[in-house]
Amino acid sequence: MAAGGGGGRPPGPDPALEPYVQTRIFKIIVIGDSNVGKTCLTFRFCGGTFPGKTEATIGVDFREKTVEIEGERIKVQVWDTAGQERFRKSMVEHYYRNVHAVVFVYDVTKMSSFTNLKTWIEECNGHAVPPLVPRVLVGNKCDLKDLIQVPSSLALKFADAHNMLLFETSAKDPQESQNVDAIFMCLVCRLKAQRSLPCRDTEGWPAQPQPHSRRLDEASRKGSCPC
Amino acid sequence: MAISEGGLLTDEIRCKVWPKLLSVNTDDLPPLPARKELREDNKDYQQVLLDVRRSLRRFPPGMPDDQREGLQEELIDIILHVLQRNPQLHYYQGYHDIVVTFLLVVGDRLATALVEKLSTHHLRDFMDSTMDNTKHILNYLMPIIDQVNPEVHDFMQSAEVGTIFALSWLITWFGHVLSDFRHVVRLYDFFLACHPLMPIYFAAVIVLHREQEVLDCECDMASVHHLLSQIPQDLPYESLISKAGDLFVQFPPSELAKEAAQAAQAERTAASTFKDFELASVQQRPDTVLRQRFRERLRGEERLRGEERTKSILTKPRTNRFVKLAVMGLTVALGAAALAMVKSALEWAPKFQLQIFP
Repeated sequence: MAAGGGGGRPPGPDPALEPYVQTRIFKIIVIGDSNVGKTCLTFRFCGGTFPGKTEATIGVDFREKTVEIEGERIKVQVWDTAGQERFRKSMVEHYYRNVHAVVFVYDVTKMSSFTNLKTWIEECNGHAVPPLVPRVLVGNKCDLKDLIQVPSSLALKFADAHNMLLFETSAKDPQESQNVDAIFMCLVCRLKAQRSLPCRDTEGWPAQPQPHSRRLDEASRKGSCPC
Repeated sequence: MAISEGGLLTDEIRCKVWPKLLSVNTDDLPPLPARKELREDNKDYQQVLLDVRRSLRRFPPGMPDDQREGLQEELIDIILHVLQRNPQLHYYQGYHDIVVTFLLVVGDRLATALVEKLSTHHLRDFMDSTMDNTKHILNYLMPIIDQVNPEVHDFMQSAEVGTIFALSWLITWFGHVLSDFRHVVRLYDFFLACHPLMPIYFAAVIVLHREQEVLDCECDMASVHHLLSQIPQDLPYESLISKAGDLFVQFPPSELAKEAAQAAQAERTAASTFKDFELASVQQRPDTVLRQRFRERLRGEERLRGEERTKSILTKPRTNRFVKLAVMGLTVALGAAALAMVKSALEWAPKFQLQIFP
């Protein structure tokens, strides 16, 4: 089974020794068309490597990773979903419950996976995911430079229109692995800020200028917190 | 043979027995149509192609690339051929995991005939236009667990783990999750010889086999889902098969139908989705026969053992033999008749259930 590459439980603090420290959990769901690279992205984030042979995801797979931000340990749970329409219609709904963030993935070399994003957004709204839940857009397979069908400008426009951050990346390219990390870390930072200041929960992303760029700035590329 | 210890042992025997279990006449196999014809204008071609291309793990590790690629092309052809001939069937991701098993064991021509039969019988519910029926079959999982170990059942319910961790087990007959091909074909022997709901009993048996791990797990959806979806590769298959058979006899689908229907209600699954309900009641005869036979045999056992029989069949291996005999006897007696009832399961239609159990 493809699941759980990095999903093994990382050695956390012994609860018996640290009874007052509770690790916060952030739950992120990853959705998008079949074969856009959802499983590879989650593997890359949770396990650090690009899996050589991934298979079609059937139903929902789960992976997790514990990260440390500003001295706080946070458990990031990533729910990797099947892309085929029939699964999303009736099987995946259970996993939209109480999500803290949504990652939409498309394949930059396949226009249909981009144009289908609007049905994924409808899907997400249909599952009553509150508007304040952060959403990011990820264009995957950027390493296939000669095959790109979705221009960055188009993707950026779409992301802006839907109040999402856009990342273009490649789960396959080892050079990009920090960028994959940055996608998830950015969400975690955002959630961390949002949760420590509940009164800010009225907006989606903050209104100040955001790195809507296709690449994150240098700081984030080094794997630190981009926010 | 297919149920008893070790299963059918070799692929040579499987080539002879699998067609018989599915009532497929091996002397009269239709020719396969031309590849180009199949692939043009086929709505499922792109999805099938994506899934088959990614199914490298299903082939023996030492197989040369060109041989594997040839088989992958055959796999695509078989799937498209069956779909083309049966427009009522819909492709699902995972179907390819089942078809590849047949391809590797019996070759493309026979595999096509077997898979077609299987798809219109055992797999029929998975191939509906929606997955509502599949979901309903998954609803049998928790009631089976509840019968054997209510503690595990209650724990899983409070974790709200759902049943999706078992989805790939069910719809691929474990072909997607077991890495050793010998185990996969062993299970296929068993499932081919049994009621179409047997894979869900087997899924329950795996969960019950891991009861301690489950109870030791943190009681939340992610932890329990993660634990259960990672299927151990060293399962004691023979004893689990025997236990699944025992559970089927002890708690036949008809007795679990009420709970399963309630689960469906709880999940607000529309009962109206079971459109085949009327058809089901027409076709239900073989299932009724099967259930009667089970009951007769169970009554016989009860006479033999008096009040000794308890719910805890899993902890009483001594009793297993009788029950196994019952399963085997039935399989032999009914043979292919038992196969004609996938759609028949009267008890699968929650609406109807509510009338039986007001």
